[in-house]
Amino acid sequence: MAERRGKGAGEARSDPRGKSGMLRVKMVLLGSSGVGKSSLALRFSKDDFKDSAPTVGCAYLTQLVCLHDATLRFEIWDTAGQEKYHSVTPLYYRGAQAALIVYDISNRESFMRAQLWLKELEKQYVPGETVVGLVANKSDLSSSRQVSLQEGRSLAENKGLLFMETSAKSGNQVSELLLDIAHRVKLSSREDKGLAEWREADCVDMHREGRPRPLSSCCLTIGL
Amino acid sequence: MLDRRCRSRRSLPPLCPASREMSQKSERRGIHVDQSELLCKKGCGYYGNAAWQGLCSKCWREEYQRARQKQIQEDWVLAEKLQREEEAAYASSQGVQQPQPSLAPFSKFEEKKTNEKTRKVTTVKKFFSPSSRTAPKKAPSERVEKVSGVRERHGETLLRDLRGMFAQPWEMVAPTEESHEGKTPSPSISRQSSIETDRVSRDFVDFLKNLQKPGREIHKQCRAFIESMANKKDLGADEQSECVQDFYQNMSDRLMTHFKGSSERVERVMDQVEKYIMTRLYKNVFCPETTDDEKKDLATQNRIRALHWVTIQMLCVPVDEEIPEVSDNVVKAITDVIEMDSKRVPRDKLACITRCSKHIFNAIKITKKEPASADDFLPTLIYIVLKANPPRLQSNIQYITRFCNPSRLMTGEDGYYFTNLCCAVAFIEKLDAQSLNLSPEDFERYMSGQASPRRQEPQAWPQAGPSSSPGLSQVYQSLDLLAGLGARQERVLEGARTLESDLISWQESVEREVQEILEKYPLEIRRPASAIDSDNVENDRLPPPLQPQVFAG
Repeated sequence: MAERRGKGAGEARSDPRGKSGMLRVKMVLLGSSGVGKSSLALRFSKDDFKDSAPTVGCAYLTQLVCLHDATLRFEIWDTAGQEKYHSVTPLYYRGAQAALIVYDISNRESFMRAQLWLKELEKQYVPGETVVGLVANKSDLSSSRQVSLQEGRSLAENKGLLFMETSAKSGNQVSELLLDIAHRVKLSSREDKGLAEWREADCVDMHREGRPRPLSSCCLTIGL
Repeated sequence: MLDRRCRSRRSLPPLCPASREMSQKSERRGIHVDQSELLCKKGCGYYGNAAWQGLCSKCWREEYQRARQKQIQEDWVLAEKLQREEEAAYASSQGVQQPQPSLAPFSKFEEKKTNEKTRKVTTVKKFFSPSSRTAPKKAPSERVEKVSGVRERHGETLLRDLRGMFAQPWEMVAPTEESHEGKTPSPSISRQSSIETDRVSRDFVDFLKNLQKPGREIHKQCRAFIESMANKKDLGADEQSECVQDFYQNMSDRLMTHFKGSSERVERVMDQVEKYIMTRLYKNVFCPETTDDEKKDLATQNRIRALHWVTIQMLCVPVDEEIPEVSDNVVKAITDVIEMDSKRVPRDKLACITRCSKHIFNAIKITKKEPASADDFLPTLIYIVLKANPPRLQSNIQYITRFCNPSRLMTGEDGYYFTNLCCAVAFIEKLDAQSLNLSPEDFERYMSGQASPRRQEPQAWPQAGPSSSPGLSQVYQSLDLLAGLGARQERVLEGARTLESDLISWQESVEREVQEILEKYPLEIRRPASAIDSDNVENDRLPPPLQPQVFAG
């Protein structure tokens, strides 16, 4: 099954080439419960482009992002932030091209948890292959700020992550964040052998480094 | 030549007129046929017939009967095995009582099981009655061409039996399927699924007709692949998965060049290819014996059963089942996730999960009046899985993982919901006291069945409300009645006990009184008079006793 993913990725390669170079980007939102992941996801999908379908849930959303030379179709996967589901979360981010770790600037605890998420994620991804962003949300609550801008920024810089302070409530910096990610995803795809080969390389590396059998191995570890 | 014909007439009375006609025909046309070629292949000396695979009528009948007998025996064994399995599963599902907040999903599951059972039984019956009665009588004596009439009369079952006997004289939609099915050792299973298989292959052929020449090519490749897979039955599940994924890969690469990069069209064709192939391969690759899928299924099923006491509150599920619309969505979600097992194509299974998830989102949205987030969705999905206890859950997940187009699992909406289901199952497997906000002691007691969380909050009973099933409210009523009866019995017992103690104390008091009286008036027994007359004072005044007098008479 390890080989299968490589091959499967080759098949999936058909997608980005399909509509004049449209890339499908799977982006996972991580972070404690209540930091505003879902609101952020809703913002992402509503801001610039109208989503025709009425939203029943905001756990899975899609958004098109047009850069000057390519169109990216973001598939935004929200995850359950409660601590008890922490152990099953790795299932979500296999095969993801982008991951956002979200914390709440008015909640110190969520920042600590964000660092845990980051550690967990670092076990799974290869730097340069997956775009990881640290998002300081709820910038509108700066009066009750518990995590300074500098703290977040230095953490991101240490780990080489994208950093952005946003407000899902007011929509401040949200579209900038998405554009920034889009550029980075585009860039990381350029660093490889080109657009066509990108997915294959990505996926092969992902599983070589991470879990060779994403599902079964998860089931095994958790089945104990 | 003449002499041979005479011999054939004389010595082969059971030979049907058709074969005679045939030999005459060959004579007339002057085709030279060596005598040895015309004789029965068994070497009995009689003439053979091509329609009977070169055997004479007698040998053919023997051969045929033997094959039939063998097949019937095999079918019996299989039917019995299925029956046993069904019964065992049925018994075990009945054995454990499930005092869940709502009994609807459980009963549905039972219903489904029963349906399956009856379906299987009727299939077996169907197979035995017409084919075993009619086939041996008619098949040897009838010409191959006439069998097509039999086919209409006796339907699919008989057709399939005969098909194995004759070398496929008529063309069906997909000849591969026949040869493939002929090889399978479990005829009754193949028969059971044959109607669906036929329908799918017809649809596939219809679909490919629109593609004309490449369509034929695709069909040929698919058939070849299925045939090659039939020889790989003993391979491990992972190898089989690899074969299928390789095939998908090659096929889509070829389609890609053919359609000049139109991924939508490729996807459409690939969906059909997947449907066709997996419908055929399903019974060989779903929960294969080479894996421990079945064991995992049972473990998960038992685990979910053991967790029957988990409530909405413990999982923090934001769903209020008292709202009729919400409970409706919950029931639909449960039905969908159970239905997954009945689908054969991985994509159809995924569609069931997606439908289930949509119902969950609706339920949450109605309850919370805002779009559900993943924080709400995952716990609710876990709750639904616990309530539904979907049959063969692990097998289904493994099957989808192995044989679904991988891009669909990693990305896209279906992929997202499938991932959530995997998370839910993983969570259920490792669920502990902490994840339900319980103390380890409580968790242990609930798991071992020593206590039920419900017992401790009896005020929760009347809250059942109109939304829950009538059976449940009846249970609650009975429980209330029982509780009332218990209290009354208690009172009666208490009364009896007071009565008993009253009686005891009364007896004691009576005894005491008697004693007192006895003490107060001690019994003095006077000496009785020794002679009756001793103290009779006035005796002296009595006249002397009469003396007997003698009268002279």
